[in-house]
Amino acid sequence: MRPVFVAGAAVAPFGKHPGQSAADLGEESVVELLRTTGLLPELAEAGFVGSVYGGSLVAQRVLQRVGISGVPVFTVENACSSGGSAVHLAWQAIAAGIYDCVVAVGTENLSNFGGGALPLTTADAEIAQGVVMPATYAMRAQRYMYETGAGVDDLSRVSVKNRINGSRNPRAHFQAEVGLDQVNQSRAISDPLRLLHCCPNSDGAAAVLLCSAEFAADLGTPRARIRASVVRSGTFHTTFRDMTWPDITARTARAAYDMAGLSPADLDLVELHDAFSIAEFLHAEALGIAERGKAYRAVADGEFDRDGRVAVSPSGGLLSRGHPVGATGVSQISEAYWQLTGTAGELQVPGASVALTHVTGGGIFGVDNGACSVHILTAED
Amino acid sequence: MRKTIGGDWIAQDGEAIALRISVCRNCAARWYPPRKICSTCASNDLEQTVTGDRGVAYASTVVRVGAAPFRVPYVLSYVDIDGVRLLTHFDGDQAPPSDSPVRLTIGQIGSEGQTDLWSHLATPITEDTR
Repeated sequence: MRPVFVAGAAVAPFGKHPGQSAADLGEESVVELLRTTGLLPELAEAGFVGSVYGGSLVAQRVLQRVGISGVPVFTVENACSSGGSAVHLAWQAIAAGIYDCVVAVGTENLSNFGGGALPLTTADAEIAQGVVMPATYAMRAQRYMYETGAGVDDLSRVSVKNRINGSRNPRAHFQAEVGLDQVNQSRAISDPLRLLHCCPNSDGAAAVLLCSAEFAADLGTPRARIRASVVRSGTFHTTFRDMTWPDITARTARAAYDMAGLSPADLDLVELHDAFSIAEFLHAEALGIAERGKAYRAVADGEFDRDGRVAVSPSGGLLSRGHPVGATGVSQISEAYWQLTGTAGELQVPGASVALTHVTGGGIFGVDNGACSVHILTAED
Repeated sequence: MRKTIGGDWIAQDGEAIALRISVCRNCAARWYPPRKICSTCASNDLEQTVTGDRGVAYASTVVRVGAAPFRVPYVLSYVDIDGVRLLTHFDGDQAPPSDSPVRLTIGQIGSEGQTDLWSHLATPITEDTR
Protein backbone atom coordinates (compact mmCIF):
# COMPACT_ATOMS: atom_id res chain seq x y z
CA MET A 1 0.00 0.00 0.00
CA ARG A 2 1.14 3.54 -0.72
CA PRO A 3 1.48 6.15 2.03
CA VAL A 4 -1.51 8.49 2.27
CA PHE A 5 -1.40 12.07 3.52
CA VAL A 6 -3.87 14.62 4.76
CA ALA A 7 -2.87 17.83 3.00
CA GLY A 8 -5.67 20.12 4.08
CA ALA A 9 -8.75 20.38 6.27
CA ALA A 10 -11.68 22.72 6.72
CA VAL A 11 -14.73 22.87 8.94
CA ALA A 12 -17.97 24.76 8.45
CA PRO A 13 -18.45 25.73 12.10
CA PHE A 14 -20.75 23.40 14.04
CA GLY A 15 -23.89 24.83 15.60
CA LYS A 16 -27.47 25.59 14.70
CA HIS A 17 -27.80 26.52 11.04
CA PRO A 18 -31.49 25.92 10.35
CA GLY A 19 -31.38 27.96 7.13
CA GLN A 20 -28.64 25.86 5.55
CA SER A 21 -29.16 22.41 4.09
CA ALA A 22 -26.61 19.62 4.36
CA ALA A 23 -25.57 20.48 0.78
CA ASP A 24 -25.10 24.17 1.71
CA LEU A 25 -22.96 23.30 4.74
CA GLY A 26 -20.94 20.76 2.77
CA GLU A 27 -20.30 23.33 0.06
CA GLU A 28 -19.09 25.83 2.65
CA SER A 29 -16.56 23.32 4.00
CA VAL A 30 -15.21 22.41 0.55
CA VAL A 31 -14.96 26.07 -0.51
CA GLU A 32 -12.86 26.66 2.60
CA LEU A 33 -10.76 23.57 1.84
CA LEU A 34 -10.03 24.77 -1.70
CA ARG A 35 -9.26 28.28 -0.45
CA THR A 36 -6.87 27.19 2.28
CA THR A 37 -5.03 24.57 0.22
CA GLY A 38 -5.02 26.33 -3.13
CA LEU A 39 -6.22 23.10 -4.72
CA LEU A 40 -7.75 23.53 -8.16
CA PRO A 41 -11.06 21.64 -8.12
CA GLU A 42 -10.35 19.92 -11.43
CA LEU A 43 -7.43 18.12 -9.77
CA ALA A 44 -9.74 16.19 -7.43
CA GLU A 45 -10.10 12.75 -8.97
CA ALA A 46 -12.90 11.48 -6.73
CA GLY A 47 -15.06 12.49 -3.78
CA PHE A 48 -16.70 10.71 -0.84
CA VAL A 49 -19.35 12.51 1.20
CA GLY A 50 -20.60 11.07 4.49
CA SER A 51 -24.10 11.99 5.62
CA VAL A 52 -26.97 10.20 7.36
CA TYR A 53 -29.88 12.54 6.76
CA GLY A 54 -28.56 14.55 3.79
CA GLY A 55 -30.61 12.61 1.26
CA SER A 56 -29.90 10.98 -2.06
CA LEU A 57 -26.85 12.11 -4.04
CA VAL A 58 -25.69 14.59 -1.42
CA ALA A 59 -22.13 13.98 -2.67
CA GLN A 60 -23.05 15.38 -6.08
CA ARG A 61 -25.09 18.17 -4.54
CA VAL A 62 -22.08 19.29 -2.48
CA LEU A 63 -19.20 18.74 -4.88
CA GLN A 64 -20.71 19.82 -8.21
CA ARG A 65 -21.22 23.31 -6.78
CA VAL A 66 -17.49 23.80 -6.38
CA GLY A 67 -16.11 22.43 -9.62
CA ILE A 68 -15.82 18.77 -8.66
CA SER A 69 -18.16 17.12 -11.14
CA GLY A 70 -17.85 14.50 -13.82
CA VAL A 71 -15.48 12.47 -11.63
CA PRO A 72 -16.71 9.53 -9.51
CA VAL A 73 -18.36 10.73 -6.29
CA PHE A 74 -20.15 8.68 -3.66
CA THR A 75 -22.54 9.37 -0.81
CA VAL A 76 -21.52 7.28 2.20
CA GLU A 77 -23.93 6.31 4.98
CA ASN A 78 -22.69 4.48 8.07
CA ALA A 79 -24.57 6.28 10.86
CA CYS A 80 -22.19 8.20 13.17
CA SER A 81 -19.29 6.67 11.25
CA SER A 82 -20.42 8.06 7.89
CA GLY A 83 -17.73 10.73 7.79
CA GLY A 84 -15.05 8.37 9.09
CA SER A 85 -16.12 5.86 6.45
CA ALA A 86 -15.89 8.51 3.71
CA VAL A 87 -12.30 9.25 4.79
CA HIS A 88 -11.58 5.51 4.88
CA LEU A 89 -12.79 5.04 1.29
CA ALA A 90 -10.72 8.01 0.13
CA TRP A 91 -7.73 6.48 1.94
CA GLN A 92 -8.33 3.11 0.24
CA ALA A 93 -8.37 4.69 -3.19
CA ILE A 94 -5.07 6.47 -2.67
CA ALA A 95 -3.36 3.63 -0.78
CA ALA A 96 -4.31 1.29 -3.62
CA GLY A 97 -2.79 3.61 -6.19
CA ILE A 98 -6.06 4.32 -7.99
CA TYR A 99 -6.06 8.06 -7.35
CA ASP A 100 -3.61 10.71 -6.10
CA CYS A 101 -6.06 13.36 -4.92
CA VAL A 102 -9.42 12.70 -3.27
CA VAL A 103 -11.74 14.92 -1.26
CA ALA A 104 -13.62 13.46 1.73
CA VAL A 105 -16.48 15.40 3.27
CA GLY A 106 -19.00 14.93 6.05
CA THR A 107 -22.13 17.05 6.29
CA GLU A 108 -25.36 17.12 8.23
CA ASN A 109 -28.26 19.32 9.18
CA LEU A 110 -30.10 18.09 12.28
CA SER A 111 -31.99 21.31 13.10
CA ASN A 112 -34.73 20.17 10.78
CA PHE A 113 -35.62 17.41 13.26
CA GLY A 114 -36.38 19.88 16.06
CA GLY A 115 -35.24 19.03 19.60
CA GLY A 116 -35.14 15.86 21.66
CA ALA A 117 -33.60 12.50 20.93
CA LEU A 118 -32.78 11.87 17.27
CA PRO A 119 -35.37 9.69 15.56
CA LEU A 120 -34.11 6.17 14.89
CA THR A 121 -35.21 5.10 11.45
CA THR A 122 -34.03 1.50 11.35
CA ALA A 123 -37.26 -0.13 12.54
CA ASP A 124 -36.42 -3.11 14.75
CA ALA A 125 -37.57 -4.97 17.86
CA GLU A 126 -35.90 -2.53 20.27
CA ILE A 127 -37.00 0.68 18.58
CA ALA A 128 -40.55 -0.75 18.75
CA GLN A 129 -40.10 -0.83 22.55
CA GLY A 130 -39.24 2.89 22.64
CA VAL A 131 -35.47 2.82 22.88
CA VAL A 132 -33.60 6.02 22.00
CA MET A 133 -29.83 6.59 21.98
CA PRO A 134 -29.75 8.40 25.37
CA ALA A 135 -31.55 5.42 26.93
CA THR A 136 -29.03 2.95 25.52
CA TYR A 137 -26.10 4.97 26.85
CA ALA A 138 -27.92 5.47 30.16
CA MET A 139 -28.14 1.70 30.57
CA ARG A 140 -24.44 1.39 29.75
CA ALA A 141 -23.82 4.05 32.41
CA GLN A 142 -25.90 2.26 35.03
CA ARG A 143 -24.00 -0.97 34.43
CA TYR A 144 -20.57 0.72 34.34
CA MET A 145 -21.26 2.51 37.62
CA TYR A 146 -22.50 -0.76 39.16
CA GLU A 147 -19.38 -2.65 38.12
CA THR A 148 -16.72 -0.01 38.77
CA GLY A 149 -18.06 2.15 41.60
CA ALA A 150 -17.96 5.29 39.43
CA GLY A 151 -20.56 7.92 40.31
CA VAL A 152 -22.55 10.64 38.60
CA ASP A 153 -19.84 13.19 39.47
CA ASP A 154 -17.43 11.08 37.43
CA LEU A 155 -19.72 11.27 34.41
CA SER A 156 -20.05 15.00 34.94
CA ARG A 157 -16.29 15.51 35.04
CA VAL A 158 -16.12 14.33 31.40
CA SER A 159 -18.58 17.05 30.41
CA VAL A 160 -16.68 19.67 32.40
CA LYS A 161 -13.35 18.70 30.80
CA ASN A 162 -14.63 18.57 27.25
CA ARG A 163 -16.51 21.85 27.62
CA ILE A 164 -13.29 23.49 28.88
CA ASN A 165 -11.56 22.19 25.75
CA GLY A 166 -14.40 23.35 23.51
CA SER A 167 -14.37 26.82 25.03
CA ARG A 168 -11.10 27.36 23.16
CA ASN A 169 -12.41 26.03 19.85
CA PRO A 170 -13.99 28.58 17.51
CA ARG A 171 -15.47 25.71 15.49
CA ALA A 172 -17.34 24.21 18.47
CA HIS A 173 -21.11 24.28 18.90
CA PHE A 174 -20.77 25.07 22.62
CA GLN A 175 -17.97 27.48 23.51
CA ALA A 176 -18.82 28.07 27.17
CA GLU A 177 -17.44 26.13 30.10
CA VAL A 178 -19.82 24.41 32.52
CA GLY A 179 -19.35 23.63 36.22
CA LEU A 180 -19.86 20.29 37.93
CA ASP A 181 -23.03 21.47 39.72
CA GLN A 182 -24.42 22.84 36.48
CA VAL A 183 -24.00 19.44 34.83
CA ASN A 184 -25.44 17.58 37.82
CA GLN A 185 -28.44 19.88 37.98
CA SER A 186 -29.23 19.97 34.27
CA ARG A 187 -32.45 18.35 33.10
CA ALA A 188 -32.79 14.60 33.61
CA ILE A 189 -32.82 12.84 30.23
CA SER A 190 -32.49 9.12 30.95
CA ASP A 191 -31.25 8.14 34.41
CA PRO A 192 -28.42 8.61 35.32
CA LEU A 193 -27.77 10.85 32.29
CA ARG A 194 -28.64 14.53 32.36
CA LEU A 195 -28.77 17.01 29.52
CA LEU A 196 -25.15 18.10 29.88
CA HIS A 197 -24.02 14.47 29.72
CA CYS A 198 -25.40 14.38 26.16
CA CYS A 199 -23.96 15.85 22.97
CA PRO A 200 -26.11 18.36 21.11
CA ASN A 201 -27.84 17.75 17.78
CA SER A 202 -25.75 20.03 15.60
CA ASP A 203 -25.51 21.17 12.02
CA GLY A 204 -22.15 21.35 10.34
CA ALA A 205 -19.71 20.00 7.80
CA ALA A 206 -16.04 19.22 7.42
CA ALA A 207 -13.79 18.43 4.48
CA VAL A 208 -10.30 16.96 4.18
CA LEU A 209 -7.92 16.55 1.27
CA LEU A 210 -6.21 13.17 1.01
CA CYS A 211 -3.37 12.62 -1.42
CA SER A 212 -0.34 10.57 -2.36
CA ALA A 213 3.19 11.59 -1.36
CA GLU A 214 3.93 13.01 -4.84
CA PHE A 215 0.74 15.04 -4.97
CA ALA A 216 1.26 16.33 -1.42
CA ALA A 217 4.82 17.39 -2.27
CA ASP A 218 3.62 19.29 -5.35
CA LEU A 219 0.82 20.98 -3.43
CA GLY A 220 3.23 22.02 -0.70
CA THR A 221 0.73 22.47 2.13
CA PRO A 222 1.45 21.21 5.66
CA ARG A 223 0.67 17.52 5.85
CA ALA A 224 0.05 14.67 8.26
CA ARG A 225 0.37 11.00 7.40
CA ILE A 226 -2.45 8.51 7.84
CA ARG A 227 -0.82 5.49 9.47
CA ALA A 228 -4.01 3.48 9.87
CA SER A 229 -7.54 3.65 8.55
CA VAL A 230 -9.94 0.96 9.71
CA VAL A 231 -13.71 0.45 9.61
CA ARG A 232 -15.55 -2.42 11.29
CA SER A 233 -19.20 -3.35 11.58
CA GLY A 234 -20.90 -4.67 14.71
CA THR A 235 -20.98 -8.39 15.48
CA PHE A 236 -24.61 -9.50 15.38
CA HIS A 237 -26.02 -11.70 18.14
CA THR A 238 -28.96 -11.62 20.54
CA THR A 239 -27.35 -13.23 23.59
CA PHE A 240 -25.54 -11.76 26.61
CA ARG A 241 -23.61 -8.61 25.76
CA ASP A 242 -21.18 -6.81 28.07
CA MET A 243 -22.40 -3.24 27.73
CA THR A 244 -19.33 -1.87 29.53
CA TRP A 245 -17.00 -3.18 26.82
CA PRO A 246 -17.64 -1.80 23.32
CA ASP A 247 -16.28 -4.74 21.43
CA ILE A 248 -16.55 -2.95 18.09
CA THR A 249 -14.21 -0.20 19.30
CA ALA A 250 -11.74 -2.75 20.69
CA ARG A 251 -11.67 -4.70 17.41
CA THR A 252 -11.34 -1.61 15.24
CA ALA A 253 -8.61 -0.11 17.42
CA ARG A 254 -6.61 -3.34 17.55
CA ALA A 255 -6.60 -3.52 13.75
CA ALA A 256 -5.56 0.14 13.57
CA TYR A 257 -2.68 -0.27 16.03
CA ASP A 258 -1.51 -3.32 14.05
CA MET A 259 -1.66 -1.42 10.76
CA ALA A 260 0.20 1.57 12.20
CA GLY A 261 2.74 -0.45 14.18
CA LEU A 262 1.89 1.75 17.15
CA SER A 263 0.39 1.17 20.59
CA PRO A 264 -1.92 3.15 22.88
CA ALA A 265 1.12 4.42 24.81
CA ASP A 266 2.34 6.21 21.67
CA LEU A 267 -0.72 8.46 21.42
CA ASP A 268 -0.47 12.16 22.23
CA LEU A 269 -4.13 12.85 21.61
CA VAL A 270 -7.37 11.06 20.89
CA GLU A 271 -10.51 12.51 19.37
CA LEU A 272 -13.07 10.13 20.87
CA HIS A 273 -16.75 9.52 20.17
CA ASP A 274 -18.15 11.00 23.40
CA ALA A 275 -21.77 11.19 22.26
CA PHE A 276 -22.57 10.82 25.97
CA SER A 277 -20.18 11.28 28.91
CA ILE A 278 -20.22 7.57 29.73
CA ALA A 279 -18.89 6.87 26.22
CA GLU A 280 -15.54 8.44 27.09
CA PHE A 281 -14.99 5.84 29.83
CA LEU A 282 -16.13 2.89 27.73
CA HIS A 283 -14.19 3.80 24.60
CA ALA A 284 -11.05 5.01 26.41
CA GLU A 285 -10.83 1.54 27.95
CA ALA A 286 -11.56 -0.24 24.68
CA LEU A 287 -8.97 1.94 22.90
CA GLY A 288 -6.44 0.89 25.54
CA ILE A 289 -5.64 4.35 26.91
CA ALA A 290 -7.01 3.40 30.34
CA GLU A 291 -7.18 0.14 32.25
CA ARG A 292 -10.48 -1.69 32.28
CA GLY A 293 -12.80 -0.06 34.81
CA LYS A 294 -10.35 2.79 35.52
CA ALA A 295 -11.08 5.43 32.88
CA TYR A 296 -13.24 7.39 35.31
CA ARG A 297 -10.22 7.68 37.59
CA ALA A 298 -8.04 8.82 34.69
CA VAL A 299 -10.49 11.65 34.03
CA ALA A 300 -10.69 12.59 37.71
CA ASP A 301 -6.88 12.62 37.93
CA GLY A 302 -6.54 14.92 34.90
CA GLU A 303 -4.79 12.30 32.77
CA PHE A 304 -7.05 13.08 29.77
CA ASP A 305 -6.70 16.87 30.07
CA ARG A 306 -5.19 18.78 27.17
CA ASP A 307 -1.85 18.82 29.02
CA GLY A 308 -2.34 15.40 30.62
CA ARG A 309 -0.91 11.95 29.87
CA VAL A 310 -2.97 11.70 26.68
CA ALA A 311 -5.28 14.53 25.61
CA VAL A 312 -8.76 13.14 25.03
CA SER A 313 -10.91 15.28 22.76
CA PRO A 314 -8.85 18.48 22.98
CA SER A 315 -11.23 19.96 20.39
CA GLY A 316 -14.10 19.61 22.87
CA GLY A 317 -15.37 16.27 21.65
CA LEU A 318 -18.94 15.67 20.62
CA LEU A 319 -20.10 17.04 23.98
CA SER A 320 -18.81 20.49 23.10
CA ARG A 321 -17.90 20.54 19.43
CA GLY A 322 -21.32 19.07 18.66
CA HIS A 323 -22.43 16.06 16.66
CA PRO A 324 -23.70 16.68 13.14
CA VAL A 325 -23.71 12.94 12.75
CA GLY A 326 -22.16 12.39 9.32
CA ALA A 327 -19.72 15.30 9.71
CA THR A 328 -18.19 14.23 13.02
CA GLY A 329 -15.61 11.75 11.69
CA VAL A 330 -14.26 14.24 9.15
CA SER A 331 -14.08 17.04 11.71
CA GLN A 332 -12.05 14.74 13.99
CA ILE A 333 -9.54 14.17 11.17
CA SER A 334 -9.45 17.94 10.64
CA GLU A 335 -8.79 18.65 14.31
CA ALA A 336 -6.07 15.96 14.36
CA TYR A 337 -4.52 17.47 11.21
CA TRP A 338 -4.27 20.90 12.83
CA GLN A 339 -2.78 19.36 15.99
CA LEU A 340 -0.15 17.40 14.06
CA THR A 341 0.81 20.32 11.84
CA GLY A 342 1.16 22.56 14.90
CA THR A 343 -1.58 24.90 13.74
CA ALA A 344 -4.24 24.16 16.38
CA GLY A 345 -3.84 27.56 18.03
CA GLU A 346 -5.27 27.72 21.53
CA LEU A 347 -6.19 24.03 21.32
CA GLN A 348 -2.65 22.92 20.61
CA VAL A 349 -1.52 19.84 22.51
CA PRO A 350 2.18 20.51 23.19
CA GLY A 351 4.42 18.31 21.05
CA ALA A 352 1.55 16.43 19.40
CA SER A 353 2.97 13.89 16.97
CA VAL A 354 0.58 10.90 17.11
CA ALA A 355 -3.22 11.24 17.04
CA LEU A 356 -6.06 8.73 16.98
CA THR A 357 -9.60 9.52 15.89
CA HIS A 358 -12.57 7.33 16.76
CA VAL A 359 -16.20 7.40 15.73
CA THR A 360 -18.73 4.69 16.37
CA GLY A 361 -22.42 4.57 16.21
CA GLY A 362 -25.65 3.42 14.87
CA GLY A 363 -28.18 2.14 17.35
CA ILE A 364 -29.42 -0.96 15.62
CA PHE A 365 -30.66 -4.14 17.22
CA GLY A 366 -28.27 -6.99 18.00
CA VAL A 367 -24.91 -5.17 17.77
CA ASP A 368 -23.16 -2.83 20.17
CA ASN A 369 -22.87 -0.32 17.31
CA GLY A 370 -23.49 -0.52 13.60
CA ALA A 371 -20.16 0.85 12.40
CA CYS A 372 -16.90 2.08 13.92
CA SER A 373 -13.95 3.80 12.31
CA VAL A 374 -10.51 4.51 13.73
CA HIS A 375 -7.73 6.53 12.12
CA ILE A 376 -4.19 6.97 13.40
CA LEU A 377 -2.25 9.94 12.05
CA THR A 378 1.31 11.12 12.62
CA ALA A 379 3.14 14.38 12.11
CA GLU A 380 5.50 14.56 9.12
CA ASP A 381 8.63 16.67 9.41
CA MET B 1 -58.57 -1.93 20.84
CA ARG B 2 -55.41 -3.70 21.84
CA LYS B 3 -52.24 -4.21 19.86
CA THR B 4 -49.40 -6.31 21.22
CA ILE B 5 -45.93 -5.13 20.15
CA GLY B 6 -43.87 -8.17 19.27
CA GLY B 7 -46.97 -10.28 19.88
CA ASP B 8 -45.91 -12.95 17.39
CA TRP B 9 -42.86 -13.62 19.56
CA ILE B 10 -44.74 -14.03 22.84
CA ALA B 11 -46.15 -17.40 23.93
CA GLN B 12 -48.89 -16.81 26.50
CA ASP B 13 -50.37 -19.28 28.94
CA GLY B 14 -52.82 -17.35 31.11
CA GLU B 15 -50.84 -14.92 33.23
CA ALA B 16 -47.53 -16.54 32.41
CA ILE B 17 -45.66 -15.64 29.26
CA ALA B 18 -42.57 -16.89 27.54
CA LEU B 19 -40.53 -15.69 24.59
CA ARG B 20 -40.44 -17.63 21.36
CA ILE B 21 -36.78 -18.16 20.46
CA SER B 22 -34.74 -20.12 17.94
CA VAL B 23 -31.76 -22.30 18.77
CA CYS B 24 -29.42 -23.27 15.95
CA ARG B 25 -28.80 -27.02 15.80
CA ASN B 26 -25.62 -26.39 13.82
CA CYS B 27 -23.82 -23.80 15.97
CA ALA B 28 -26.01 -23.49 19.12
CA ALA B 29 -26.60 -19.73 18.66
CA ARG B 30 -29.79 -18.52 20.34
CA TRP B 31 -32.04 -15.92 18.72
CA TYR B 32 -34.76 -13.62 19.90
CA PRO B 33 -36.83 -12.63 17.95
CA PRO B 34 -37.01 -16.14 16.47
CA ARG B 35 -35.39 -16.71 13.09
CA LYS B 36 -35.67 -19.18 10.21
CA ILE B 37 -32.01 -18.78 9.28
CA CYS B 38 -29.23 -18.66 11.85
CA SER B 39 -27.52 -15.27 11.69
CA THR B 40 -24.24 -16.74 12.93
CA CYS B 41 -23.76 -19.65 10.49
CA ALA B 42 -26.66 -19.21 8.01
CA SER B 43 -27.96 -22.74 8.76
CA ASN B 44 -31.68 -23.31 8.29
CA ASP B 45 -31.73 -26.11 10.89
CA LEU B 46 -33.15 -24.25 13.87
CA GLU B 47 -35.21 -25.53 16.78
CA GLN B 48 -38.17 -23.25 17.55
CA THR B 49 -38.65 -23.24 21.31
CA VAL B 50 -39.62 -20.99 24.23
CA THR B 51 -37.89 -19.49 27.26
CA GLY B 52 -39.07 -19.62 30.85
CA ASP B 53 -40.47 -16.49 32.49
CA ARG B 54 -37.63 -15.70 34.93
CA GLY B 55 -34.66 -13.51 34.07
CA VAL B 56 -32.20 -10.98 35.42
CA ALA B 57 -32.21 -7.22 34.75
CA TYR B 58 -28.73 -6.54 33.35
CA ALA B 59 -29.06 -2.76 32.94
CA SER B 60 -31.98 -0.35 33.18
CA THR B 61 -32.93 3.31 32.95
CA VAL B 62 -35.83 5.67 33.54
CA VAL B 63 -36.40 7.30 30.16
CA ARG B 64 -37.45 10.93 30.59
CA VAL B 65 -37.00 12.08 26.99
CA GLY B 66 -38.27 9.25 24.89
CA ALA B 67 -40.03 8.19 21.77
CA ALA B 68 -43.70 8.29 20.85
CA PRO B 69 -46.07 6.48 21.51
CA PHE B 70 -44.76 5.97 25.03
CA ARG B 71 -45.50 8.44 27.80
CA VAL B 72 -42.48 9.55 29.82
CA PRO B 73 -41.22 8.64 32.25
CA TYR B 74 -40.99 4.96 31.35
CA VAL B 75 -38.50 2.35 32.49
CA LEU B 76 -36.55 0.17 30.06
CA SER B 77 -34.46 -2.85 31.02
CA TYR B 78 -32.19 -5.26 29.26
CA VAL B 79 -33.14 -8.63 30.69
CA ASP B 80 -31.14 -11.84 30.25
CA ILE B 81 -33.50 -14.78 30.05
CA ASP B 82 -32.54 -18.34 29.15
CA GLY B 83 -29.59 -17.28 27.02
CA VAL B 84 -31.20 -14.43 25.09
CA ARG B 85 -31.21 -10.72 25.87
CA LEU B 86 -34.49 -8.83 25.73
CA LEU B 87 -35.14 -5.10 25.78
CA THR B 88 -38.40 -4.63 27.65
CA HIS B 89 -40.44 -2.13 29.58
CA PHE B 90 -40.16 -2.56 33.34
CA ASP B 91 -43.22 -2.37 35.57
CA GLY B 92 -42.25 0.30 38.11
CA ASP B 93 -41.25 3.94 38.61
CA GLN B 94 -37.59 3.25 39.38
CA ALA B 95 -34.94 1.48 37.36
CA PRO B 96 -34.24 -1.90 38.98
CA PRO B 97 -30.67 -2.35 40.23
CA SER B 98 -28.32 -4.28 37.93
CA ASP B 99 -28.53 -8.05 38.41
CA SER B 100 -31.91 -8.01 40.13
CA PRO B 101 -34.26 -10.92 39.33
CA VAL B 102 -37.37 -10.25 37.27
CA ARG B 103 -40.36 -12.16 36.01
CA LEU B 104 -41.89 -11.63 32.56
CA THR B 105 -45.55 -10.77 32.34
CA ILE B 106 -47.66 -9.09 29.71
CA GLY B 107 -49.23 -5.67 30.14
CA GLN B 108 -49.90 -2.24 28.70
CA ILE B 109 -46.83 -0.17 27.88
CA GLY B 110 -48.35 2.73 25.94
CA SER B 111 -51.22 3.90 23.82
CA GLU B 112 -51.65 5.25 20.33
CA GLY B 113 -54.97 7.01 19.74
CA GLN B 114 -57.70 4.60 20.85
CA THR B 115 -55.34 1.62 20.74
CA ASP B 116 -53.77 0.24 23.90
CA LEU B 117 -50.24 -0.96 23.23
CA TRP B 118 -49.26 -4.11 25.11
CA SER B 119 -46.08 -6.09 25.22
CA HIS B 120 -43.93 -8.18 27.50
CA LEU B 121 -43.20 -6.43 30.76
CA ALA B 122 -40.55 -7.18 33.39
CA THR B 123 -41.75 -7.10 36.98
CA PRO B 124 -39.53 -7.32 40.05
CA ILE B 125 -39.42 -10.61 41.91
CA THR B 126 -39.99 -9.88 45.57
CA GLU B 127 -40.10 -12.20 48.54
CA ASP B 128 -43.86 -12.51 48.00
CA THR B 129 -43.71 -13.56 44.37
CA ARG B 130 -40.56 -15.64 44.43
